[in-house]
Amino acid sequence: MIKNPLKQEEWSPYVAGAGLGLVVIFSLLLTHRVPGSSGAVENLAAFLAQPLFPDNVYFKFQMPAVISWQVWLLLGVFLGAMVSAMLAGVWKFDRNPDAQWKAVFGTQTWKRWVVTFFAGVVVEFAAGIAGGCTSGLAISGSVQLVPAAFLFIPAMFVGGIPTALLMYGKRY
Amino acid sequence: MTIGEVLITIVLGFVFGWTLDKAGLTKYHKIVNVYRFTDLAVLKYMMSAIIVGMAGVWTLKGLGLVELTGTISTYVPGVLLGGVLFGVGMAAAGFCPGTVAAGAGRGNLDYLIPGFAGFLVGAIAFGLSYQSFMPQLTQVANLGNLSLPELLNLSPGLTVVVVILLFALVLYVIERTHAARPDKVTGEGPTNPSDAATPNAASKFSKQGTD
Repeated sequence: MIKNPLKQEEWSPYVAGAGLGLVVIFSLLLTHRVPGSSGAVENLAAFLAQPLFPDNVYFKFQMPAVISWQVWLLLGVFLGAMVSAMLAGVWKFDRNPDAQWKAVFGTQTWKRWVVTFFAGVVVEFAAGIAGGCTSGLAISGSVQLVPAAFLFIPAMFVGGIPTALLMYGKRY
Repeated sequence: MTIGEVLITIVLGFVFGWTLDKAGLTKYHKIVNVYRFTDLAVLKYMMSAIIVGMAGVWTLKGLGLVELTGTISTYVPGVLLGGVLFGVGMAAAGFCPGTVAAGAGRGNLDYLIPGFAGFLVGAIAFGLSYQSFMPQLTQVANLGNLSLPELLNLSPGLTVVVVILLFALVLYVIERTHAARPDKVTGEGPTNPSDAATPNAASKFSKQGTD
């Protein structure tokens, strides 16, 4: 018997990935843009930064405080994952949801939150330097055969492998 | 943007977020495990998306139906430095800017509150320091906004076919050679159905890891 796919928590990553491939195609066709996420965070951050640092050139001209195309896209991402998890019956508020994290680093919420905060700072700062993130640079860039994408993907692993090794030690 | 464009964009994002959740990428362990080579779902998802997207986009471009955005420039040392730092943060957090939004939608409060706050602080820190190093960094070895076929003077169609075949070959090798290894933490083997024949190897590893 085939289970209703809407009720399954996970699909094959190939099927899910192909779905994102279609999103990239229709995005370019219908909106003349390709998906990206880190820019939306910069737009939202500008709402905080502009009043705090009114003379800053970057938030005045390069990344102004606007509800941009990327912000709408990211709102859709939020809603899509929410509905996916709700229909699968797995949606729930959880301060520290991952079993593997808890098995390795313990169940204390503060520890997980401290790491996610500082890692979040690093991720978004790094996306700024590189000019994009996993979606906007690695995936949308590769689709358009942009050389930067093919440099960015291996570089992610050069940073990620030793970090995971350090954090996991013998359990790597 | 018109209301119609906003709605289309939200629907596109909705499908994007849906696929992230269905691929399991709204979970910390799925992201970190690609850097531990115990679960390659991230790589499978990304490469599948790139193959499908590339085939469609370049076909439509050949038919004159779309223009590439041409907005991503390649400044070699900057992209590499950013990529390495990005990998450090992504492996530690278990998310990136797209998956933090998706994971927050799923109800992960560690994504929604400290994760998102960290991203806002990172974006503000980048904006404040932008003038002090980015104009210089983006000058070094900047190849401009050209795509690979333009840069190397190759046929776009042939380049697309070769890159798709290379990516498909990598995925084939991943599936065939069980490139993912058993996980010392969870005791789970690679998520390849053909690995079901070796459950003992996986459980042996799990006992060492649960200290």
